Amino acid sequence: MPDLIDGSEAVSVHGILNWILLLTIFSVITVIGNYLGYKHPMTDSLIGMGILSLITLAGVWMERELPFNVSSILYISIIGIIVAFPGMPTSEFVLKYVSQVELLSIVTVFLAYVGIGMGKSWDEFKALGWKAIVITVLVIAATYYGAAIVAHIVLVLTGVPAA
Amino acid sequence: MIFIPDKDNDGQVEHIYREKTDRRILRKNPWKDLRLHGTVLILVIIAELIGTITIPVTKDVAITIMPLIYTIILGLAFYLIKPIKWIHRRQARIAEGAMMLFIGVLIAKLAISSGQSISLIFEMGPALILQEIGHLATILVLPIALLLGFKKEAIGMTNSIGREPNVAVVVDKYGFNSPESRGVFAIFIIGTVIGTIFISFLVTFSLSFLPLHPYAYAMASGVGSASMNAAAIGPTLAAFPGLETQIEAFAGFSNLLSFCVGIYIVIFIALPLTEKIYYWLEPKIGKESRVEVSEEEE
Repeated sequence: MPDLIDGSEAVSVHGILNWILLLTIFSVITVIGNYLGYKHPMTDSLIGMGILSLITLAGVWMERELPFNVSSILYISIIGIIVAFPGMPTSEFVLKYVSQVELLSIVTVFLAYVGIGMGKSWDEFKALGWKAIVITVLVIAATYYGAAIVAHIVLVLTGVPAA
Repeated sequence: MIFIPDKDNDGQVEHIYREKTDRRILRKNPWKDLRLHGTVLILVIIAELIGTITIPVTKDVAITIMPLIYTIILGLAFYLIKPIKWIHRRQARIAEGAMMLFIGVLIAKLAISSGQSISLIFEMGPALILQEIGHLATILVLPIALLLGFKKEAIGMTNSIGREPNVAVVVDKYGFNSPESRGVFAIFIIGTVIGTIFISFLVTFSLSFLPLHPYAYAMASGVGSASMNAAAIGPTLAAFPGLETQIEAFAGFSNLLSFCVGIYIVIFIALPLTEKIYYWLEPKIGKESRVEVSEEEE
């Protein structure tokens, strides 16, 4: 059985400090990668990562402290959309610095953690037969093409030019 | 996920993300694991220094391999290769917990692009919402699963892409030890190991061979898994230079929709439909012998 379920713990000051330090490490690595890959100035992209980390922190904190059964992904998305909303007093500042952090720089660092983390599932993975692998690959492809083709048809029918 | 109907297993499956993160982050001091973070830094430096490699296949078609592919594969390799002694199960567990937090940074970046292009998102509303229904295409794989000899496992396997929220839905409906749950667990584990790498190549190939609308590619990358979303956006961004903000906006918003709306599509349409088709189709094409999903078949 995949290791999915375990007891949870309440938020503590200690926990928040751990989140902050982890996000700091993540930010520093991303800024270095962002500099090497895209030559964006380090101080600007560090401020950008600071903004993104603050939004993340607010989202995970709200998920645990607010009485709604809502995932942090939703809180983070809503905060992100609001602070960048055209006309918001924050939008100019946020866009100036966050645009200095390429999405791909974040993705590259994120996927390094994913790669190391998924090693843990390797033994379970090997125990599953090739038939299950065939089905997984087909399921992922079907999800992707299903969405892409429906979106394409709707975009063409509603006359959206291919930019 | 925002809501999973649960009856008797209260507090068990519906907060998988939170529990995973908390368990790994609050108990230990994960930032102290310098071996893990140092390794990630080295992987990122190697990946960025190699940079994007473009391999021309024919005159117009080229395959691009991006730094994000190197970091996943090297990360997995560092865990699996025996001589590398400093990356163990402990590091993998911390990496997995940390990843649940770092998803937030990725989501925040995408959300900022969405906020910036909010009027465009409203304009493209119909396409964004309808493409969520396109995810039902996974049910097309059901007959193949039956032909390969799967029984009720096939219901868990083909109702959705089988990520955390989907696992929770299936476990909640059929119980932890049901064949349906074994099926979705199998998809979850295999998706975890090969999903990101597979989707990144799938998208790269599709971009070369299928002339779909750039926004359609952007929306499709929101498959409901943050790491697969990340791996799918990479090649898409590279293929349409000048459209970065729009692509990020659609990809982010569509992933958000997959999390919020997609889960209801699974609960109310995909899962009941898969079950109906299974009971109709299984007597017709199901194999006599059954395949055990969780059996060792070396």
